[in-house]
Amino acid sequence: MRHYVIVGILVIVAAVGTYTGLHAVGLMPVEASVQAAPIDWLWNLEVITISFLFALIIVPMVYSLVVFRRKKGDNTDAEHIEGNTTLEIAWTIIPLIVVVIFAYLGAYSLGETRRVDPNAMIVKVTGFQWGWQFEYPAYGGFKSDKLYLPADKQVLLQLQALDVIHSFWVPEFRVKQDLVPGRITEYRITPSLIGDYKVRCAEICGTSHAYMEAPVVVVDQAAFDTWAKDQQVAAAQAEANATPEQKGEKLYQTYCKACHSINGTAGNGPTWLGLFGHEVELADGTTVTADEAYLTQSIKEPQSQVVQGYSPMAFNPAAVGIGDTEIGYLVAYIKTLK
Amino acid sequence: MTNIKPVWRGLFLLVVGALIGYGVGLGLDFAVQKTVSYQAPVAGLFSLLFGAIFFFFGLIGYHGVTKGLVFQVLGTLAGALFVTGIRAAMGLGLWGPFLFTEPAWVLGGLVGALSFLAGVGAVTDWWKWALGEPTSDHHHDEPGWEKYFGVSLDHKVIGIQYTVVALLLISVGGLFALIFRTELAASGLQFLTREFKLFDQNGLQMYNSLMSLHGMIMIVSILLGIAGIMNYVVPLLLGAQDMAFPRMNAFSFWIAVPAAVLLLSSIFLGGFDTGWTGYPPLSVRAPVGMQMFFLGVFVAGWSSILGGLNIIATTLRMRAKGMTAFRMPILVWASVATSLISLTATQLIGLAFQLVMFQRLLGMGFFDPDKGGNPVLFQHLFWFYSHPAVYVFVLPGLGVISELLPVFVRKPLFGYKWVAMSSLGIALVGFLVWAHHMFTSGMNEYLRVPFMYSTLLVAVPTGVKFFSWVATLWKGKIRTPVPMLFVLGGIVVFLMGGLSGPPNATVSTDLHLHDTYFIVGHFHDTIFGGFVFPFFAAIYYWFPKASGRRMNEFWGKVHFWLMTPSFFVLTLGMMRIGLLGMRRRIADYDPALGFDLTHLVLTIAGFLIALSVLIFIINFFHSMKNGEKAEGNVWESRSPEWQVPSPMPMHNYEHEFEVVGEPYDYGLAGSRYVKFANEK
Amino acid sequence: MTHTQDKSTAMRQGVLIFVYLGILTVLEYFIAVAFDAVPLLVVVALVKAGLVMYYYMHIYRLSEDDGSDEHSYAYKTGTNRLGLWLFLLSDAFVFGGLMVARINLLGMTRPHLNQLLGLGVTAVLLISSFFMNRAETAIAHGDRKTFMTGTFITMILGLLFVIGVVGLEWQLAKIEEVIANRDVVGAVFYMMTGMHAFHVLTGVILLFTVWNKGRKGLYTAEKHWGVEAAAVYWHFVDVVWIFFYPALYLIGKVL
Repeated sequence: MRHYVIVGILVIVAAVGTYTGLHAVGLMPVEASVQAAPIDWLWNLEVITISFLFALIIVPMVYSLVVFRRKKGDNTDAEHIEGNTTLEIAWTIIPLIVVVIFAYLGAYSLGETRRVDPNAMIVKVTGFQWGWQFEYPAYGGFKSDKLYLPADKQVLLQLQALDVIHSFWVPEFRVKQDLVPGRITEYRITPSLIGDYKVRCAEICGTSHAYMEAPVVVVDQAAFDTWAKDQQVAAAQAEANATPEQKGEKLYQTYCKACHSINGTAGNGPTWLGLFGHEVELADGTTVTADEAYLTQSIKEPQSQVVQGYSPMAFNPAAVGIGDTEIGYLVAYIKTLK
Repeated sequence: MTNIKPVWRGLFLLVVGALIGYGVGLGLDFAVQKTVSYQAPVAGLFSLLFGAIFFFFGLIGYHGVTKGLVFQVLGTLAGALFVTGIRAAMGLGLWGPFLFTEPAWVLGGLVGALSFLAGVGAVTDWWKWALGEPTSDHHHDEPGWEKYFGVSLDHKVIGIQYTVVALLLISVGGLFALIFRTELAASGLQFLTREFKLFDQNGLQMYNSLMSLHGMIMIVSILLGIAGIMNYVVPLLLGAQDMAFPRMNAFSFWIAVPAAVLLLSSIFLGGFDTGWTGYPPLSVRAPVGMQMFFLGVFVAGWSSILGGLNIIATTLRMRAKGMTAFRMPILVWASVATSLISLTATQLIGLAFQLVMFQRLLGMGFFDPDKGGNPVLFQHLFWFYSHPAVYVFVLPGLGVISELLPVFVRKPLFGYKWVAMSSLGIALVGFLVWAHHMFTSGMNEYLRVPFMYSTLLVAVPTGVKFFSWVATLWKGKIRTPVPMLFVLGGIVVFLMGGLSGPPNATVSTDLHLHDTYFIVGHFHDTIFGGFVFPFFAAIYYWFPKASGRRMNEFWGKVHFWLMTPSFFVLTLGMMRIGLLGMRRRIADYDPALGFDLTHLVLTIAGFLIALSVLIFIINFFHSMKNGEKAEGNVWESRSPEWQVPSPMPMHNYEHEFEVVGEPYDYGLAGSRYVKFANEK
Repeated sequence: MTHTQDKSTAMRQGVLIFVYLGILTVLEYFIAVAFDAVPLLVVVALVKAGLVMYYYMHIYRLSEDDGSDEHSYAYKTGTNRLGLWLFLLSDAFVFGGLMVARINLLGMTRPHLNQLLGLGVTAVLLISSFFMNRAETAIAHGDRKTFMTGTFITMILGLLFVIGVVGLEWQLAKIEEVIANRDVVGAVFYMMTGMHAFHVLTGVILLFTVWNKGRKGLYTAEKHWGVEAAAVYWHFVDVVWIFFYPALYLIGKVL
C-alpha cells in the first residue's frame, strides 16, 4: 500500500511539474488570429493531458527501477502476478472515455475555426514555384506580392496553385491549407493582432521551397483602406500606361505559361521563343509561316492548326475573356520573343 | 595477394574499382555530352557500382552477391540499350542528360533488378521446378562467413543477412542526415549553396535529394531490420526447422539488395526533391532520379510483401505441438500483426508509385488536373499504405519490448492476452486512419472528422501496452543489462512519440502542426522508440544465440548512455522549433525566427547519436570474434531457443519440443514453457 | 489429395456452375442495358465471384485438416495453398486500388467501348475457367488425357483473351478516342485492362509450365499441387475480370 501512496503523490507532483514547466517555456508563437484561439485552447488541454499521462507512466516506471531493483546476490524470481482483468478493462475503458471526450472537443474546436462570416473580404492567393501573389477583387482586382489584411475582419483566401502543391501557413494564424493544382481551396482567417508576419509554404514544392515566403501585414481598417486605394490607383495607372507588349506578357503569365514556354523548351504546347516569322510544320504535314494571321487564328481556335508532334488542347480563349483585343496584345508579345 | 585478408583485399579492390568506374563513367558521359565534366552523374554511379563489385570480388570471388551485382549492371545496360534501340527505330532522341533517356533508365532498372536475382541464384530452384527438374529439399551451407554473401535457405543466415544490410543502410541514411543536419546548423546556405555542383545538382537540389533519400533509405532499412529480427527469431520461437517457404524467404531478402542499389542510384540521376512521399505533380516534374526512387521502393515492396506472407504462413502452419494461439510468444503475435499489414497494404504504395511512373512515361493523366486527374487521389493511395506502414515499423519492436521485459523483470508479462490483442487492434485500426495525413490537403471536408475519431482510437490499444509494461515492471526483480536498458529506453522514447501524437490527430491543432518540425520530432520518437531502441535491444539480446559470444557490456552501456540523452535533445528540440514555425524539408530558415542556436544544438546531438551507433557497429563486429563466450542460457530465459546451446545448430532444434505451459510464468515454481522430446 | 466426389459428379458440377455463370453474365448485361441499376450489378458480380471462389477455386480447402505429419505431401500442399491464397489476397489489393482510382476519377461515367467485344472476351475468359476446372478435376481423378486437353484449351483461350483485349479492344478504343495520354478516361482504361492482361499473360506462362510438366508425366492424382496452383491463380484472374467487366463496360453513362 505504501508504494501506491508514494507513487500516487509523485505522479501528481510530476504531472503538475511537467505542465508548469511546459507552460513556463511557452510553446506556441504569438496568437494573431481569432481562429488561433480555439486551437490554442485545445492544445492547452492536450498539454495538460499529456503531462498527466507522461507522469502516470514514467513515475511508476522509475519508481520500480529504483525500488524493485534486483538486490545483489538475489537470484530468485519475482512474485508471480499474471495480470488483472479488472485493471485491464479499466485502462481500456478510461482511455476510451478520454478519447471520446477529445473527439468531441476536437470536432468542436474545428467547428470554431471554421465559423463563416458571409461578409468576409475575398482575396485570391496564387502560389507558384517559388512565390506568392495576392489579388484583391474587392478593390478592382489589383495584384500585390504582399498580403495586407485589415485586423478584426474575416478574410476568405481563395487559394490556387499554378504548378505543384503548396501550402499556405502563417504560424501566428495557426491554420494551414494546401493549394492544389486544378482546384480552389479555401482558407478563412480573422487577423486579430496588428503586426508583420510571413506566409511560408509548408508543403515541399521543389528546389527553392525553403524560400517560398511572402510578407503578411496586418493593419487597422483605416490603414488598410488607404493602402488598398493607393494600390488600386497605381494598378490602374500601370494598366493605362502599359504597352500592348506588356499587356500581352501579363496575359501570358496568367493563361499561357502552363503550356507554352518562352525559353525554347517544349511544354504541352510549342515554345513561343523565336516563333514569329518562322516556318511551322503542322500535324497534317503542311507548312505555314507563323505570321500575325496564323497566330491570331491559332489562339482563337487552338484546334484548327495543330503543330506537328503536339496533341490538340481543349483550351477555350473566349471562356477566360480573351477576345480579339487581347489576342492582339498576345501577338504583340510573341513578336518580342526572339 | 592470396595471404592478404579478404577484407583488405576487398577494400583495395574497392578503390581500384571506384577509379575504373569513374573513368568509364567519364568516358561515356563525354561520348554523349561532348564535354568533359568531372562531376558527371554517370561517373558517380559507375564509380559506386564498380567499387561495390570489385569489393565483393576481392572478398568472396565471382559468385553470390558479386555475380548478382555484375548481372544487375549488365541487365540494366541491356534493358536501357533495348529501349534506346526502339527509340532509334522510332526516330526519337537517344540520349539524355544522364546518358540514357528516362524510359531507358526505367526499363533498365527493372531488368537490372531481375537480373540481379538470376545472377545471385535466388530463382534457380524455381526455374528448375518450372522445368520439372528435381531440386534438393535438404540444403547445407558450408561453415564459415562466406555463406552470408550468397543465397542460403537457412532462416538464421537470412535473418543475419537482413540485419547486417539494415545496419549498412541505417549508416548510409544516417550519413545523409549528418550532411544536411550540418547544413542546417546555421541559417543561410553554408556548403550546399546555389554554386555547389555535384551530379548536375546545385546545393539546394542536393539538399532535397539527400533529405528525401534519408527518409526512404531509413524506411527500407527498418523494413529489413524488422525482417531480420522476425526471420531469425520467429521460427526459433515456434520450434520450426525453417520458414514455411525457405526459397521465397531467400528471394525476399535478395530482392531488397537491388532495390537498395536502385534507391541509391537515384541520387546520381538528378536526385529528386519531393521528400519520401513523392506527391505529384511535383514528382511528375522531378528528374530521372524520381523514377529510380519509385522503382526501388516498388521492388523493396515485394520484399516486404513476400516476407510478411512467409511469417503468416509459418506461424499458422509450423508451430510446435501444444502451442495454441494464446501460448505463442508475444513477439510472434506482433510479427503476425505486422505481416498482415505489409502483406496487403504495401500493394497500394506500389500502385500509387506505378501510376506516377506511367504518368511520367506515357503522359497518362491520373494525377494531372489538366487531364481530369486528381492529385489528392495519389495521397489517399499512398497513405493507405504509408500510415499502416508505421505500425509495420513499430509493432515488432513493441513485441520485442514485451518479449524481453519478463525475462529481465523475472515476472510474467502483465495481461498477456491483452497485449497480444492490442497488437492486432493497432494493426486493424491502423487501416482506417490514413487520411489524418491529409487534414490540410484539400480533400473532402467531411472526411476530416471521422478520420480524427479513428486516429484517436489508436491511443486505446497503445495505452494498453504501456500500462501492461508498467504493471510488468511493478514489484519485479529488475535487472538492467544492456538489452534491458534499450528496452526501457524504447518504452520512454515511444511514450514521448505516443504522447505527441494526439495533437496531430485532432484536426484543429494539426492545422498548425502539420508539415512542421513538430511532426519530424514526433515521428522520430515513435520510430526510435518503436524500432531503433528495440532493434538494438534485440541484437544485444540474441547476439549470443547467433554467435555464441556476448557483445561487450561496457561499450553497450556507452552506446546507450550516449544515444539516449542526445536523442531526447534532438527530438524535443525539433518539436520546440516546429511549434514556433520551423517547417519540414527546408534547406534554410529565416534567421529572424531565432532558431540558429537550437539548430546548432540539434546538429551536435545528431553527431553524438551517429558516434554512439558507430561504437555499436564496432562492438558488433569486434564481438563476433573476440566477445566473451556465452553458450548457455545467458539471460535465464524460459524461451525455447535458450534451452539449447549457442550458437544455434543449422537445422535448429535437434529434438522437437512440446509446449507444456505458459510462456512467461516467471516466479511460478516448477513451471516450464517447453519440454523437449529427449527429456523425461 | 483426397476427394469426396466421384469423377462424373465433379465434372457435372463444373458444367452446372459454368451454366450459372453464363446465365448471370447475360443477366448482368441486360440489367445494365435495361435498368442501369448499379447495386444490382454489384450483387450479380459478388454472386459470380462467390461461385467461382467456392466451386472452382475451392476456398474451403483452406480449412481442411491435413493431418499432423509436417513432412507429408498433403501437409506441405496445405501450407502452399495457404501461401497462394495469401498472395492472392495481396494481389487483390492492387486491383482494389485500381478500382478505387476508377471510381474516384470516372465516377458514374465509362469510356466508349465496343460492347460486343467486351461480352466476347468476357465469355472467352469464362469458358477458359470452365476448362481449367475440368482439367484440374480430371487430374485429381487420374485422367491425364482430359487434363492435358483442358489445360491446353485454357491456355489457348487465355491467349485469345489477351489478343482480344490488347490486339482488338485497344485498337478499337483508340478509334473511339479513348487515348492513354489524352485524358484520365483513357489512362484508367488502359491501366486497368493492361494490369489485368499482364496477369492473364503470367497465368498463360504458368499454364504452359504445367502443360509441359504434364507432358512429362510429373502429375498424379495424389500429387498435383502445381496444377491446383495454376488453376486457382487462373480463376483469381477471372474473378478480377468479373468486377472489371461491369466497371469498364456496364456501369454509368458513356462518355
